[in-house]
Amino acid sequence: MTKPSPHDDVDLSAIAVLLQQCEQQDNPLYESLERLYHRYRQQQRILDRLIRIADQFQLAERERGHRYQSNYQRQARQLEKIIRISDHYHKMMRDLNHRLHILSTHDELTGLANRRYGTQRLEQEVNFVNRHGGTFCIALADIDHFKLINDTHGHAVGDRVLTQVARCLQTHIRDYDLCARWGGEEFMIVFARAAIADVHPLAERLLTAVSQPLQTESATVAVTVSLGVTEYRVGDSLDKALVHADQALYRAKTAGRNRVMCDHSTHLV
Amino acid sequence: MTNLEIAQTNSTPGIEADWDSGLLRLRGDSYPENSFALFQPVVEWVETYLRDTQRPLRLELELLYLNTSSVRALMDILDQLEDAHQEQRPVSVTWLYDAANERVADLAEEFKEDCTFPFEIVAKT
Repeated sequence: MTKPSPHDDVDLSAIAVLLQQCEQQDNPLYESLERLYHRYRQQQRILDRLIRIADQFQLAERERGHRYQSNYQRQARQLEKIIRISDHYHKMMRDLNHRLHILSTHDELTGLANRRYGTQRLEQEVNFVNRHGGTFCIALADIDHFKLINDTHGHAVGDRVLTQVARCLQTHIRDYDLCARWGGEEFMIVFARAAIADVHPLAERLLTAVSQPLQTESATVAVTVSLGVTEYRVGDSLDKALVHADQALYRAKTAGRNRVMCDHSTHLV
Repeated sequence: MTNLEIAQTNSTPGIEADWDSGLLRLRGDSYPENSFALFQPVVEWVETYLRDTQRPLRLELELLYLNTSSVRALMDILDQLEDAHQEQRPVSVTWLYDAANERVADLAEEFKEDCTFPFEIVAKT
């Protein structure tokens, strides 16, 4: 007996019973009914088989889908990792660039701007004054008797004096001014957008602030500086202004050190 | 199979692959114009070595900066090693870095993350 197919609404087993009855009763419809029954059953088998094949296809398709999905997920994870590592490298390069920038613009011992950076800043101020008018001031400060300090107490103490003076100058200038290490024991200060009349008292205050003795294990080292200040005006030569600041510093030295000397000469080209 | 020897330049790492000792060494920065062209012979060398021998493979890295495509190439090589490891082949990585640059060690850790074979990150003294 054929089992009723799950895909069919015709009950083949009922027809089979009917067929059997027709055969027993010698019913003339028997042969036709039998043909019909077999044809129908054959079609049913084909249909069942087709459905099974279709099911298998569907299953394979679903498996392929899963494979694609897991491949896709794997690649997405790999991509995320590449991006993460790559970002990490970019950050490392940015930080190294920043360090390089600091190294190329700052003095290692004192942490102040170096001469190159100080010169850049001077040029910026020159451009600003020449475009917008006004003035700015340049001060050159030199530690008094530095060679003697080095010779008497050694270079390590000399370095400490340099660091102490640098820190002191840096803390006592205004936020928008710049203090650079200009040479061995010489510092250059840019007083932005300021006239010499205003800078002179500032320079005197710097002088007092810097004059703090340095206490070492074995001695007290007296620390003072001399300062030469000049004013840059529209159209002046920067080189001449620097020479005049240096000359003012020299005058402060020859007048007995630990003082501020202002230069009022013109620096016209 | 021959050895592989590619000289180091500013933008490409020095690459040495020694068939007899089973050692592959990459050293330097890597930001080549064409990273596929640079790394393809390395990938092929590893593939051939793993296929034609049963000996251990050791990868020694001393890399500093890698651009994105080099990161990808290195991950491909590490994948090759991982596959070999899954087939019970003895493979290992030693990543050397300058102790002054801890960042590189962090990066090496990122590469190590998915590797189940021995992967050492060693500060150079």
